[in-house]
Amino acid sequence: MTDPRTWLTTALRLVAGIAIAVPAALLLGASPAAAHPMPHSVVQLDVYKDSVTARLALPVGDFTTASGIDLNTVKSSALATKSQAIRTYLAAHIHPTTLKGEAWQVAIGALSLSRTEQTSTGPYRELVARAVLTPPAGADVRHFTLDYDVIVHQVVTHITLVSVRQDWAAGRVTGDGATQVGTIRLDVRHMKVPPLTVDLGKGSAWRGFVAMLQLGANHILTGTDHLLFLLILLLPAPLLAAGGRWNGGLAGPRAALTRIGRITLAFTVGHSVALAATALTRFEIPGRPVEAFIAASILVGAVHAIRPLFPGKEAIVAGVFGLGHGMAFSFILAEMHLSTGQLATSLLAFNLGIELVQLLLVCLALPSLLVLARLRVQPVLRVTGALITATAALGWLADRLGLPNPVARAADSAGSHTTGMLTVLALAAVAAVGWTLVVRQRGRGLPELGTAT
Amino acid sequence: MSKERTRLVRTRRTWRGIAGAVTAIVLVGGGFAVANASTDTQTGKSAAGVKRPVDKKATGVGAVVSAANEFLNTLDADQQAEVLLDFSQANATAWSNLPCGSTCRPGIQLGSLTDTQLAAAMKVVKLATGTGKGTGYDQITQILKADDVLNAAQATSSAGPAPSDTASSTASADPSATADPSASSTATDTPTDVPTGTPPSGGTGGGGMGGYGSGVYFLAFLGTPSVTGTWQLHFGGHHLAVNQTYKKGKVAGASPFFVGVEPSSWTDDDGTTYSPLEAQRNGMLALTGSLSTEQLATAKLSESFSDVLLGPGEDGQFPATKEGIKVSSLSPKQQQLVLKAIHPWIANVDDATAKQLMKTYAHELNQTYVAYSGTTALDTQGDYVRIDGPGVWIEFVCQNGLVFQGKVHYHTVYRDHTRDYGSEFTFS
Repeated sequence: MTDPRTWLTTALRLVAGIAIAVPAALLLGASPAAAHPMPHSVVQLDVYKDSVTARLALPVGDFTTASGIDLNTVKSSALATKSQAIRTYLAAHIHPTTLKGEAWQVAIGALSLSRTEQTSTGPYRELVARAVLTPPAGADVRHFTLDYDVIVHQVVTHITLVSVRQDWAAGRVTGDGATQVGTIRLDVRHMKVPPLTVDLGKGSAWRGFVAMLQLGANHILTGTDHLLFLLILLLPAPLLAAGGRWNGGLAGPRAALTRIGRITLAFTVGHSVALAATALTRFEIPGRPVEAFIAASILVGAVHAIRPLFPGKEAIVAGVFGLGHGMAFSFILAEMHLSTGQLATSLLAFNLGIELVQLLLVCLALPSLLVLARLRVQPVLRVTGALITATAALGWLADRLGLPNPVARAADSAGSHTTGMLTVLALAAVAAVGWTLVVRQRGRGLPELGTAT
Repeated sequence: MSKERTRLVRTRRTWRGIAGAVTAIVLVGGGFAVANASTDTQTGKSAAGVKRPVDKKATGVGAVVSAANEFLNTLDADQQAEVLLDFSQANATAWSNLPCGSTCRPGIQLGSLTDTQLAAAMKVVKLATGTGKGTGYDQITQILKADDVLNAAQATSSAGPAPSDTASSTASADPSATADPSASSTATDTPTDVPTGTPPSGGTGGGGMGGYGSGVYFLAFLGTPSVTGTWQLHFGGHHLAVNQTYKKGKVAGASPFFVGVEPSSWTDDDGTTYSPLEAQRNGMLALTGSLSTEQLATAKLSESFSDVLLGPGEDGQFPATKEGIKVSSLSPKQQQLVLKAIHPWIANVDDATAKQLMKTYAHELNQTYVAYSGTTALDTQGDYVRIDGPGVWIEFVCQNGLVFQGKVHYHTVYRDHTRDYGSEFTFS
């Protein structure tokens, strides 16, 4: 009697907890910004093996006051005329040193102007600058002193928030959100800006490895397109083709399993090879054609599920199209600008993450695939699934060829419901296994029907 | 026989099962109903609050204490608990100029009070503050009005055109309704995100986490109001922080006092023009306007300011070295202008205390400094004046408008090097 009640309260509590925790997290995240009504600077660090890249977001108003370089009326297109002066100014106010005081090198990179808004500030323009900070050879990139007084040397009420966006060796690889390192502001009592001591803690290849493993697992789980391609190829795997149709009856469990195994393996080999090749050679491939190629691969898979296009050669097709999927995986690694050693480790971990999840999903889908093939409604289910997949593929294809559309958006958003997707797959698997057991039981009870199964 | 019994037992079991299920449903449903009912009636049925002594004939701090008790007597126990808080450093320093509602300040929200309760609350504030026109209580009520103007402007998303005070009473009636049409932008505006190229969503700048409006101001008593003990009156909201500390029936500190305003001036529906910080601004203009070119050169600071230095959270952080021109080097007439410039801030406290404090600051005038940055016109972003003495610390700064972009708005703060929070706390 108490059971349903406790169960219900727990569920309600969970829902209430989420309802409270999510906005609270958002508000907490916002609180550092709320400490100041005027827009502040934001410095985000990407920590690499031998250098640190800083992304500086500087409010144009205070920047103009402090630097004397008037950007208030400068348009983005005219920024180049000021870039020399801006670089000189920034370089004069960014001085990282080792903890012993040896100077790092500072190179100011790309500059751009954009519009943004912080809590209670209203919209304003900001200057975004990239700076590469390089310690002396052999010095520690994870512990240093950041003597930084951009803007605040003059506009003494200006505040700079420093955070880490990417730090491979600390397991921070996604670039979503950032951990705060510290605040650079005036010490009002002494009217001086104390340098910020940056302590990024101990980094290790292991933490990078684990983070990349998770990233890989997450990537395949949320990247609906990769998964859909594999599943649609597997859909007709237990069937035999005859006369240009899937009319040849069942392949038999062992043959079906072998086929599923071969297709999965071929896809794995294909994308692993392409991922390793493109990542390690740092080969730059344009994203759009690759993404379009992936969409096309799904379309081909969907058509094949309706009418056999290449019966018996699914593994080869999976391998070839797998190459395209592998290239898409490599974009993520390329964005991270890792050193070769970190890249090799990342490659291994990222791919391992992909394979583990892929294996899990194929195992979950396996019983359903085998059982579906035996049902009388099989052709209807197969064709419906293939048509839905084809629609999604067409949507993606159009989107990636430059025509954004609701179909692509809906298909992409399916990737964010991973729990639901996994639950459905798992339930289907359980149902399929259950169905098989029931059929077997009946088969035993009524031996005359046994031959039918 | 035994079969019959089994059947009976089975039937009984079935019935028991059904009964159990029904009970469970009733219990769960009942639980829901009770839970819903209890939240519905929560505000109505709270225990009555403790009644406190009221002395209508009391004067000075006694009158403030009596009014405070009178206000408390209008509240139920839960509301009293919201108002009566510990006089801790954490509570005392929890004030802000930001529209951050209850996230950054303690106390009971004015918008949650009935008319009677609200009148009693404002009576306390009135008795504790000065009676001057354009200063003290009069100024405080204008700051609250200005926030209604902001709220109306924010609601119609009309950032820019001259504001008019249209929705002052309706907008303040339900402070929760003001809660931030730009909530989404607030959430994504954490310094942790990557704001590149994302245009601000939803019209004008956000009202932060609390929203604008005269209903989003908060009153708290830190410590128990009395004419013998130590306690603090803590009142504020967006652009306002009033902190009066009482010790043994006397005011031990009338600071920190933050007062700012946006829009800097507006005309009401009935034609009344408001410019709540006119007294402060005029005093400063008269002072800096009296300085010669040479004196101005000495008074000029090399730094630039986009806000006050000693805003919320900057307790005790007075610069070790005073900057600007020393008041002792000024003519007697100019020295009087310094005192006049100081007065509108000090006038936030009751008149008698203000007089006492002005005497002290007059006495310390020779060690007091005047400094400015930007221009002395106080009409452009970055225009800044400061008066820094052994006791007094005043800053006035012009900032670009947030809701009314393209117009400046004012932030000012009055602190005292030794008397902030009645000298109750030390700051490292």
